[in-house]
Amino acid sequence: MSERVDLKEFIGGFVVEAEDLLATANACLLEIDTAISDGKSKPKAVRDLFRTLHTIKGLAGMVGVEPIMELAHALETLLRTADRAGGALQRGAVEVSLQAVRAIGERVRLVAEGRPVPAAPARLIEQINATDASSQTIEAPPEIGGEWDARLSASERQQVFLDVQRGVPAWTLVFVPSEDRAARGITIATVRTGLAAIGEIIKVAPRTQLDASGKQAGIKFEILLLSTAPAARLAEVIDADPATVVPIAVPVATAAASAEPVPELEPEREADISRIGRATVRVELDRLDELQDQLAAMIVSRFRLERELAAQHARGVDVRKLREVTDLQARQLRDLRRAILRVRMVRVAEVLEPLALLVRSVARTSHKEVRLELDVRDAELDKAVADRLLPALIHLVRNAVDHAIEPPDLRVAGGKPRVGTVRIACTELASKQLELMISDDGRGIDRDAVARRSHREILDNQQLLEVLATPGFSTRDAVTQTSGRGVGMDIVKRVAVQELGGELALDTQIGVGTTFTLKVPLTIAIVEVFSFECERQSFVVPVAAIEEIFELGDDRIEPPARPTAEANAKRVALVHRRGHALPLISLGARLAIDKGTVAKNALVIRHNGELIAFAIDRMLGRQEVVVRPVDDPLVRARGIAGATDLGDGRPTLVLDLMELGDLGERVGA
Amino acid sequence: MKRLLIVDDSKLMRDMVAACLRPLGAVTFEFAGTGLEAIERLALAGFDLVVLDLNMPDVGGIEVIEFVRAQDRLKTLPILIVTTRGDDASRARVLDAGASGFLAKPFAPEQILDEVRKLLPA
Amino acid sequence: MSLHVTFRVGNATYAVPAAQVLHLESYDTATHVPGAPAYVAGLVQVRGRLVPVVDLRVRFGLPAIEHSLDRRVVVVQNGTRVAGLLVDSAREVVQIDEAAYQKPPDIIEEQASGFVNGVATAAKRLFLLVDVPRIIGEELSHGE
Repeated sequence: MSERVDLKEFIGGFVVEAEDLLATANACLLEIDTAISDGKSKPKAVRDLFRTLHTIKGLAGMVGVEPIMELAHALETLLRTADRAGGALQRGAVEVSLQAVRAIGERVRLVAEGRPVPAAPARLIEQINATDASSQTIEAPPEIGGEWDARLSASERQQVFLDVQRGVPAWTLVFVPSEDRAARGITIATVRTGLAAIGEIIKVAPRTQLDASGKQAGIKFEILLLSTAPAARLAEVIDADPATVVPIAVPVATAAASAEPVPELEPEREADISRIGRATVRVELDRLDELQDQLAAMIVSRFRLERELAAQHARGVDVRKLREVTDLQARQLRDLRRAILRVRMVRVAEVLEPLALLVRSVARTSHKEVRLELDVRDAELDKAVADRLLPALIHLVRNAVDHAIEPPDLRVAGGKPRVGTVRIACTELASKQLELMISDDGRGIDRDAVARRSHREILDNQQLLEVLATPGFSTRDAVTQTSGRGVGMDIVKRVAVQELGGELALDTQIGVGTTFTLKVPLTIAIVEVFSFECERQSFVVPVAAIEEIFELGDDRIEPPARPTAEANAKRVALVHRRGHALPLISLGARLAIDKGTVAKNALVIRHNGELIAFAIDRMLGRQEVVVRPVDDPLVRARGIAGATDLGDGRPTLVLDLMELGDLGERVGA
Repeated sequence: MKRLLIVDDSKLMRDMVAACLRPLGAVTFEFAGTGLEAIERLALAGFDLVVLDLNMPDVGGIEVIEFVRAQDRLKTLPILIVTTRGDDASRARVLDAGASGFLAKPFAPEQILDEVRKLLPA
Repeated sequence: MSLHVTFRVGNATYAVPAAQVLHLESYDTATHVPGAPAYVAGLVQVRGRLVPVVDLRVRFGLPAIEHSLDRRVVVVQNGTRVAGLLVDSAREVVQIDEAAYQKPPDIIEEQASGFVNGVATAAKRLFLLVDVPRIIGEELSHGE
């Protein structure tokens, strides 16, 4: 193989970064759009948007996706003009930008799927080029005073002005980088993050430091910051003497507009576009898995330590002090595991963020007025569950806006408010499930129309849901622009019910609205399990499913009272335990694995009201694990509920003993 | 061992550039995501060459070049600019500001490898 | 012309479009899944994802061989499904011209013929183009 570098290998990295950039672009556009409704402008968002498109253009060029380059270039040109002219965009420009970003997004997705990417739509490019951004200037803001004027762009001065008018003080801070500071973790990057969290950084300028004789002596950074934080706090962030931190005076125009009272500390506001300064870290799920692997390895080491301690103890060594330490370690590892598992949890509010933009754009395209209401409070969900759920939620919301909500005039004529509402509410149920209700106050689903279309009789909402969830079903003959392709109702049902083991219900009333209720397990991924060995293979089973575990050998095992050939073939015997006789099934036989090992333990479960026991080799332990569904048709088998990783990097199967207890055919027979 | 500083706000670009330059052999790579971080690194340590993207948040590439060249000890540091603006005017501006080399995006791996080889001291 | 990942199973060399290949992984063991078809070696974990592995030797009706360090799992994507193909070795990536695909001649190993879409020559070698959906049992996912 030649050493030649092929940048096309970076396509995967391109998709990841492009999606991140597009999310940023959309957030910028949302912020700008909202500001327009409030009669304000957002020069920083425009600048960030411009830079984001510029970056997308560069990356697309490197990995060779021309259509995306073209779209990004057109949009970037529009935005550069707007940024130079003071950083304001009008609705028309926002609209065309949203379309361009969407067109880029579609193409990125196609790249991700390895499918060919269509050329940039000529009409859209024309539209973008025709949008006049230069006429959107606002009055040139007055001078700031001092050295900064020469170094600030029009939009930056505008930003300073807007903040100063609201009563936010302006500061010039000086940060001097040094090896000592770098060793203590204080660099321009951390200073910037720290300041961005307590104020708005307008500009950072590098300056050469001169010593007494005028010779060069290193560099420093001068920072123009707007912040209501106290001087002492600012000094702390830049590692400087508080006495040197003094606000600068900025002439404020005597504006009729009243300055709103500013809260004591300026926290991050709205959608913080800048990628510097977020209090969160984007973690790839793979890396969390790695973390969990490491943790599992630590747990294995600890067991070995335990065994060694036991051996020493057996030789008469006093291991009490050591025991205390390993016990402490066990507790710490348990806490660490719990903490790592919590990292997988994401806030439902965050998961649903993209829906606001979706509603806005679908509403606009279908000429409706719709608002999205979210009532999710602090609910959290496992990321794996959230990832599967989001496409389903997107489909339901899109459907609601596109099909359910009526055009404004129709709504008003029918006595409804002009603006339709799509509401997502979620509640945590006692059964460790999350209940999500997606409701709209639209026209409701016409049961009769659906019945006609499907040639089926529909007697209740349950049946209605079943029909709607039939693959390929659609209530419209024509596939509309925004719905009808991609995820269908059938997939929503499959995700909720099959993949996540939850429930889906429908409630609808003609003329009033529709509500979809989704119940998904909160902690489906995190289960406490017993691990054990059977025929030399490790398995796990949820602790909740086990009634009792006991050792075989002490108890009397005998063939059933009326032995039949069938019973013998299935190796069902009876074991006497505490005065009762339980059916004893060889798990190895039930799984059709036979390595000739000897069963030493039994797991008791409650099967259809009765207690039955499974004979296994030996118990390994008890732990909390992340269970992942095993749903590919190749490996779908009775009795397999999922797979997990016990720390050796290999999948360990999670068994459903209830299913295996069905005295029907043997698995694999 | 030559020390190279790769400056670009896109992690993808940084990785790609490093991949393109690996064939150089005895080199170590360090990375910076913003012009200011680049300035800080260059001020605090010694590098043999900088690959610098022009389009960056807050401090643009031109300003970085001008500032770096204003430091006596960095006057001869090889600076290779990478940018999507490949027109002659941009090239002239960049070289005027003090850059040692100029490469337009998108570029092929061999192109950047060539440019860096030309600029690295023997 | 597009890139194809090529691999050997038995005496023949097969190819699959690189666009369908997610990873190439070395192979040690797979977790046996009781109840799965005989040609399913089991489950492996690749980059945090659970991947079912089809043993192509079994699928193509070839006798088993001793474990070798050369064995690889070619992780492919077909629609929303991700599956692994266990092969004897997988080393090269080759440019193959789709226009040059031909129907497989009768001499192709009987068992494998059900799973081969066509043949192509590239760089003076013969490559059998595998029908990934058939190999991973696409018919299984419908009709349950």
